Amino acid sequence: MKTNLSWTLATVGVSAALGTAFGCGRSGDDAAKADVASGEAQYAALCAGCHGTQGEGKTAPTLRHWTRGEPALAGIIDERMPLGDPAKCKGKCATDVAKYILEKLQGDLVCAAPRPTARGLRLLTRREYRRTVQDLLGLAFATKGGDTCEASFRYDPQGRSVSKVHVAGSFNAWPATTAAGGWPLTLTGAVWTGKRTLPQGQYLYKFVLDERDWIADPGNGKTSPDGFGGNNSVLDVQCGVGGGAADPTTSFPVDTRPEGFLFDDSARGRIVTPVLADEYFRAATTLATVAVGDLGKITGCANLGDEKACAASFVARFGARAFRRPLTGTETARYVDLTSKQGSLASGVRAALRAFLNAPQFLYRSEQGTPQKDGTYRLSGFEIASALSYGLWGTMPDDVLFAAAEKGELDAPEGREKQARRMLADARARETVGTFAEQWLGSENVASATKAAQLYPAWSESLGASMAEETRRFVTSVVFDGSHTYEELVTAKYSMVDDRLAPLYGLAGGSASFEKRDYPDGTRAGILGHASVLTATSHSDQTSPIRRGLFVRRRLLCQELPAPPPNAGGVPKVDPNATTRERFAQHTANPTCKACHQYIDGVGFGFEPFDAIGQKRTQENGRDIDPKGDMNDVEGLGTQTHAPYTGLRELGQILASSRAAKACVVKQYGRFVAGGVDDDACASSDVVRRFEATGGDLREMIVATFASPSFVLRRSAP
Amino acid sequence: MIERRRILKALAASAITLPFAGLFAKSARSAPSVAKRLIVFYFPDGVPAPQGQASRFHASGSELAFSLPENLAPLEPYRSSCVFLNGLSMGGTDAGSHPGGAKKLLTGVDGGGGESIDRYLARTVGAGSPNRHLYFGAMANQNAASGDKHISYPSPGTTVAPEDNPILSFQRLFVPQGNGTQDTEGASVIDTVKGDLDDVRASLEGAERQKLDLHLEALREVERRVKGLSPTCGGAAVDISGIDASQLYSPERFPGVLRAHIDIMVQAMACGLSQVGVVQCSQHTSELIMSRFPATPLYKANFDMRSHQASHYGDPGDPKFADYVAQRTWFASQFAYLLGELQKRPDGTGTMLDSSVVLLCSEVCDGNTHLHDNMPFVLAGRAGGTLRTGRLLSFGYRRHSDLLLSLARAMGDGATSFGQECQGVLPGLFV
Repeated sequence: MKTNLSWTLATVGVSAALGTAFGCGRSGDDAAKADVASGEAQYAALCAGCHGTQGEGKTAPTLRHWTRGEPALAGIIDERMPLGDPAKCKGKCATDVAKYILEKLQGDLVCAAPRPTARGLRLLTRREYRRTVQDLLGLAFATKGGDTCEASFRYDPQGRSVSKVHVAGSFNAWPATTAAGGWPLTLTGAVWTGKRTLPQGQYLYKFVLDERDWIADPGNGKTSPDGFGGNNSVLDVQCGVGGGAADPTTSFPVDTRPEGFLFDDSARGRIVTPVLADEYFRAATTLATVAVGDLGKITGCANLGDEKACAASFVARFGARAFRRPLTGTETARYVDLTSKQGSLASGVRAALRAFLNAPQFLYRSEQGTPQKDGTYRLSGFEIASALSYGLWGTMPDDVLFAAAEKGELDAPEGREKQARRMLADARARETVGTFAEQWLGSENVASATKAAQLYPAWSESLGASMAEETRRFVTSVVFDGSHTYEELVTAKYSMVDDRLAPLYGLAGGSASFEKRDYPDGTRAGILGHASVLTATSHSDQTSPIRRGLFVRRRLLCQELPAPPPNAGGVPKVDPNATTRERFAQHTANPTCKACHQYIDGVGFGFEPFDAIGQKRTQENGRDIDPKGDMNDVEGLGTQTHAPYTGLRELGQILASSRAAKACVVKQYGRFVAGGVDDDACASSDVVRRFEATGGDLREMIVATFASPSFVLRRSAP
Repeated sequence: MIERRRILKALAASAITLPFAGLFAKSARSAPSVAKRLIVFYFPDGVPAPQGQASRFHASGSELAFSLPENLAPLEPYRSSCVFLNGLSMGGTDAGSHPGGAKKLLTGVDGGGGESIDRYLARTVGAGSPNRHLYFGAMANQNAASGDKHISYPSPGTTVAPEDNPILSFQRLFVPQGNGTQDTEGASVIDTVKGDLDDVRASLEGAERQKLDLHLEALREVERRVKGLSPTCGGAAVDISGIDASQLYSPERFPGVLRAHIDIMVQAMACGLSQVGVVQCSQHTSELIMSRFPATPLYKANFDMRSHQASHYGDPGDPKFADYVAQRTWFASQFAYLLGELQKRPDGTGTMLDSSVVLLCSEVCDGNTHLHDNMPFVLAGRAGGTLRTGRLLSFGYRRHSDLLLSLARAMGDGATSFGQECQGVLPGLFV
């Protein structure tokens, strides 16, 4: 078995004591050693996947605090393990594994050093790309508006006699006739007009008069050569409102999230497909065309007349921002060459912008580092600057960060801490914490949930959108404006409420903007009582104590459970004479189900006073709701503790004082920042210590994540 | 502000000279001995095959004299073009798991540790197509679907999300970006970026380098489109006028979205824009409320029945079982629609169905037990005369890797093995 450097076992005393227990003379000692060695091999092959290489527990409970002796452990292994295939380890195998566990895997683990995450390239997410290109090109995208919008066509014949006009273009494959699909214009007064709804983007078109004469739109000055000696008219369809350039990322494919990973920025799970490459190419072309509209601004050249000098300074200056580090000699030569070969400065700059925005140095941020003596890799100053800015702001570094990187100020924890504190004061940090919160808590997609209208007439997509916004605003408000504490996150007696949410919470009035409002009674507590969470963890026609229990286990406590076995049975059918809790009682009655559901249902039942869209209820199907729950084994599955609670406020208090819950938020935030899951329980130990030492201050947790020595270290990717 | 984002009627009508005629001719082989195209049609949550009872999905009988049960009734008109497969297994690993099944389904490798057959063929026999691979979904990305919900693996362990929006699929395939004029600037832009990709790639190793390999392949595909003339797809119109981009995840809209994506797939393939495509209905452990499909036998007012919920019928006597059976029949009817669309279009001396190979599949067998034996597979299309269709082939125990390999062979790829425990092509399948 491989030695894991980050673990130190504090169990010498235990194993020595067990060693004497086996002592029956020398040969007996040897036999016992052989048994343990055999148990170790079997454990690695059959048990470690679920219980962890050190018995620390992953999808299965921890084994490190076994108190019931060897025969009981061996008996369970013989009878039930590995789960679903107990034939694999019977008799001697079971006793050997039990011996190994009791001799080698007992007691608390002590973390020696955090384990760095894997080195490599991290593709910008869709949201990161959207922010980055705006910062890089000095643009502001319109924030609202759909994927498609209306385009108007108008042809004034100015006295020319025409009996039929249609539009032919790249949007309808250039039909010569209306019968072939040409879009007819209608004569209104003396002018031909028509409207069409189109996906946003750039199109080329012509008017066709009497299905014979193809002409460019005389009312549109923007043209491009048609390849036949004439011109096509250029139509820019931009759906934004309130000004600003069209957002070219609305058609980007979604960011793939590998199994079990909650966040959109997986470093290893996302690749550039042909569709995405196509989108990058199209977006770059559109953005470059917009950007060269102000050549002075984009090049930064005082003298546009000196094209050669301007091209060189543009490539160096813009390139260093696009690639988030100074260009290499090869890159400079390559881009100067492209810029200078396009005929004019404007077209050269456009070509270079297109290339910069398609280049891997732009699309991926590097976290490769340079090799160190101990086998780790250390990030460069510029790599650290990007890691800070994407982690805290979701976009490229600003000038201050670039300068700090250049001066080597980000190599030391103090330098990163100083920058992190500066950056937290910026609105972009709120935005990014909001993104983390909605992905962590699963509230991001609640607007697209489907609910049964006859049961939940109050439900609408816009109510769902308000729920999602509430959670974003609440979490950012706790982190930035409130006490900053984890405790407030799970116990707050208020939330951020607009006029759509107010009636749902039993509050009067409200306005279209979100305001801090106290709940009318003591039944809700922080995010636990958020309509977004309660709705997202329910089905269309009923609540789900299972999903709500798993919400607490997986998202808040980082406790994973295996998938249900075959023949699991699924959701019990709706019974008009029973409460949901009564219907799910079989889970804890049936021993197979109970193995996992003892950790799920009891937690989830305490949420039953809220229906599938988060409205309060005291009865279901005419029967009183039993609001009691049990936050058992809060510090780890298999620890066999009980914490009965009534009402979410009590649950919030239990979580607020739980070490596992605090360690979990650190872990989840670390996953979001690192773009990956680190299985190592030690990964964030230093941040956890600091988080606990500051009384669970979430701002300090954020700062500590970036200041941590391991933040700038990487290991070889597998 | 536009509240309802819809394209009223988008047409790809006029048949301008096919700019890819040359390419197309190259891919159309002189001898009609292999399939020109592969389409995989996936539906979630298995089929009703209760233990100890007759399966409502699997055909029964002998090779030539067999009957189709309720679920496959929609395939009756196409039975002479189909091969029904019984007894194929995905092996014991993760048996009982939906994600475990989805990972093995097209890769033939436990845990999704391999490239899937569709991606493999896209980069081998399909490499010359303007679009090597089409991956369309209907509600396949709902609720930030995690990667294990998707069945297409461009590289071991890595999935990508299908396109759920037919408007975007339509736009990418049928609305050319230029106006038939060459983007010479774009071509030099791509040359520059390729230089960058080569340099960055050289600094990487292992999986990271493979990421850049895939990126480079993707860029080459863009390059072919940029350096060639923009494709214009002629032929019949694809009507996507009913698609509302803001309602892609409403269960009521599911049938319309699926229909539009099938139409776009068939049209793109008819034009020679691609040779390999996957249509993914929803995602495993599906929350799709199928009782809300309007004007279908599944519709029930004020009653929500989800795909995964119905699949756990418990006992065939439970009312959920009838819902489950009806749902699977509906999925088969959509597959039948796809076959019908292919059959409508002449190709060479036959139809597009004759020159295609099409696979119907799900990630588990019976939805109640989730087991991975006797998987629900149906092959359709004569693959250019390669396959002996109109048959029921039953195997005792055979890994479905052999089916995946058979798909490769049907497409004219010379692979000798694919996935785990591969023994060779399925016996009795090929002419």
